[in-house]
Amino acid sequence: MNITQAQDDKLFEYIDGGLKGVEKESIEQLLKNSPALKARLEELRQLDTDLRAVKIEQPAKNFTQRVMNKLDQYPMRSGNLTFRNGILLLTGVMIAVGIGSLLVAGGVFDGTSIIDLNQTILQNKYIQKPLPAFNFNGKLIMNVIILLNLALAFLVLDRAILKPWFERRRMSV
Amino acid sequence: MTNEYSLIDQILAGEQHLYAELVNRYKSYAFTIALKILENRPEAEEAAQDAFIKAFHHLKGFNRESRFSTWLYRIAFNTAISYKRKRKGSYQSIENVIVEYEPGEDSLERNDKKKFINQAMSKLNEADRLALNLYYLQEFSLEEIAEITGMQANTVKVRVHRARQRLADELKSVLQKEALTL
Repeated sequence: MNITQAQDDKLFEYIDGGLKGVEKESIEQLLKNSPALKARLEELRQLDTDLRAVKIEQPAKNFTQRVMNKLDQYPMRSGNLTFRNGILLLTGVMIAVGIGSLLVAGGVFDGTSIIDLNQTILQNKYIQKPLPAFNFNGKLIMNVIILLNLALAFLVLDRAILKPWFERRRMSV
Repeated sequence: MTNEYSLIDQILAGEQHLYAELVNRYKSYAFTIALKILENRPEAEEAAQDAFIKAFHHLKGFNRESRFSTWLYRIAFNTAISYKRKRKGSYQSIENVIVEYEPGEDSLERNDKKKFINQAMSKLNEADRLALNLYYLQEFSLEEIAEITGMQANTVKVRVHRARQRLADELKSVLQKEALTL
């Protein structure tokens, strides 16, 4: 005789003491009439006994001492950026990004200027050889600065707001 | 419980040294939970310590709607899970699974039982194995296991039932294979 899933479930409930009254009588009656079911009950009961023998583990003797010694280390590991400071920093960064983007969009940095090192006082005074001239692309540099600021904003958002928020949600039972 | 809450109030008021009392009270179960998940003693010890330190720094956030122990064990559970995720991919021998038995049984029989149960346990999926381990620690109700693991109580119940059933079948097949080699 094959034991069904439902019969197994009932047997476990019987072993756990979860069956009462009519349900208990009914399974006991089935057990009397079915040697296969009785054999399965014995298998499951043996397993239950073996599993119940699992005991609680003990940590090292100095466990408590080690926890107490490390109590003050935790805030250092999680960083010193508080929620309030994080919001302020994030706002500042976003304002800078906004202003930068507006200036770039307004064409303030569209022109390309040339920095000629020969015009500097350095050349006349200390260096006799001619120095090179550099093209200065303001728009490109501003775009790089804006991108770096956006990366910083994402980092601050993660460290100061999202991470602590998820942590708090996980801790609040 | 009231005593425990007043202890927590004192700790929150600045008497940090009193936290040692809570650590002493709950370290065994927190460590056992971590060990059941990580199956490695030094790592479980580190995870359990980390859990106590996290709990200390989030003590203000404990809203006292559940038992402190349940809240703490949930932190231990989550910490051990994140430790396990960090070292994913590394091989873990089933010999490291720690299942201890009470004295009284014959040593050979005890070792065999341990070996067979470990073999059968290793065939279960992680969530089932964990639900089963927590259930047989006999400290937690199904509702508490649900709270610790973040599952529904009914899901835990079904998992425990299915895991025991599969364990019994696995154990039978392991023992049959063993009998054939004799």
